[in-house]
Amino acid sequence: MISCLNAEVRRCRPLLGTFVEVVARGPHPELVQRAVEAAFSEMERVAASMSVHDPESELSRVNASALLRPVAVGNETFHVLTLSLGLARESNGAFDPSVAPILARWGLLPSYLGRRQAGSWSDVRLLPGCRVRFHRPLSLDLGGIAKGYAVDCAVNALRANGACSGLVNAGGDLRAFGNEGEAVHVRNPMSPGSLPFMTTLREAALATSSPCFTQRTYDRGEVSHLVDPRNGQAITRAISVTVQASECWLADALTKVVLNDPACAETLLERYGAEALVLSE
Amino acid sequence: MRVVTRGLLGDLGSPVLQLTDFMSNWIHYLTVPMAGVAAVSAHATVYHSVESAQRACFPEGPSFVAADITLTKAQMRSIEKATGVRVRLNTQRVWRVEQQGALAGWFLVDEVLGKHEYITYALALTPDGAVRSIEVMDYRENYGYEVRNADWRIQFLGKTKADPVQLNADIKNITGATLSCRHVSEGVKRLLFLHDLVLKR
Repeated sequence: MISCLNAEVRRCRPLLGTFVEVVARGPHPELVQRAVEAAFSEMERVAASMSVHDPESELSRVNASALLRPVAVGNETFHVLTLSLGLARESNGAFDPSVAPILARWGLLPSYLGRRQAGSWSDVRLLPGCRVRFHRPLSLDLGGIAKGYAVDCAVNALRANGACSGLVNAGGDLRAFGNEGEAVHVRNPMSPGSLPFMTTLREAALATSSPCFTQRTYDRGEVSHLVDPRNGQAITRAISVTVQASECWLADALTKVVLNDPACAETLLERYGAEALVLSE
Repeated sequence: MRVVTRGLLGDLGSPVLQLTDFMSNWIHYLTVPMAGVAAVSAHATVYHSVESAQRACFPEGPSFVAADITLTKAQMRSIEKATGVRVRLNTQRVWRVEQQGALAGWFLVDEVLGKHEYITYALALTPDGAVRSIEVMDYRENYGYEVRNADWRIQFLGKTKADPVQLNADIKNITGATLSCRHVSEGVKRLLFLHDLVLKR
């Protein structure tokens, strides 16, 4: 019998604004190498269609014109928009993909995403034929979900190309597959050198959100890349939320629900069979 | 530090899980005893040697001709001025990539320093200087990780013998902070201008 653990490939590339690491194991090196290449290609593809930093992306085209007329996007972007708005509805807006204008004002996203009197997720309409329409001026940013989604696509590509086990880690949003358990350490946001928790992840995803590494000063106040959508305030307290779920897009998005509305998060975590670990001062 | 949990700590440790079960609301705070450092470890991963990075970037198997360059002070200033990125060193490791005697591209090895990380990466360029691929060769974080006794004990309490945890195992996967790849992006910008200034003829 050919062992599934004959070959291991571990690669890291700058992608999705962070460092993405792909680890894969399989019966022989050429197969594993091909699978890893396919995984990176998948993530590049997701980044190209869903990035708000690239003015040519599908998402940027939506932001530019969906207030004027319905904008058609590809199946995949439409799918991620559907997941985003579904979770926004289920969480009563604790997860909200329309906080981009606030982040743009703070200088954390490109300034062209800024809008006056911006609408919210509930002003987005998904129309037949993969078309998107805004009913009020707004800007969508899939940053809270697309990185996790890209990790899921990469894992699917690894499997489809014959890898038996492995892990994809996009700057802390990660997913393990196969029978090998992957040891994952959780960083303490108050002291990045300390790793107070560790878990063995098997066929599951883990994502962490913490404002501790993106905090900066704006207009004499502290801001970060995490916003409470219901009051437009930055989350700047020393906190780190880690969510384990079956898929990484879900883990990624649920971290924001736990941060913004713990009571609602309890229901959602249970509904999705997900779990959360919150570290705070 | 306070810890709030739901469910996950079934895997992470039973003391926390018991607390969670005992109380009705899911937000529970637990003071984790931070006694005694059990191990100090560093998060460092080597992904590629120079040779394996060359193979990964140019799988068609060309030859690599060493063509290291030394920048003059004027060239360093000119790169800094054009890119807004500091040029730390006046030497650059470069290979001219040749396929049957013809220029097939360039292969550069570079290092960047972040606040807490040290990264060596390879940049592969097409003959006319467009980015072909970027591979991280070596990634090191210099926090000096402390993995504490009490935390490991919590971990072990949730484990059975069938699911062993190696105390001295390397720290391979970390969740908890999104490390920006900005320094590598800046490094690539600097190298692209260096290609324009020195390699392109």
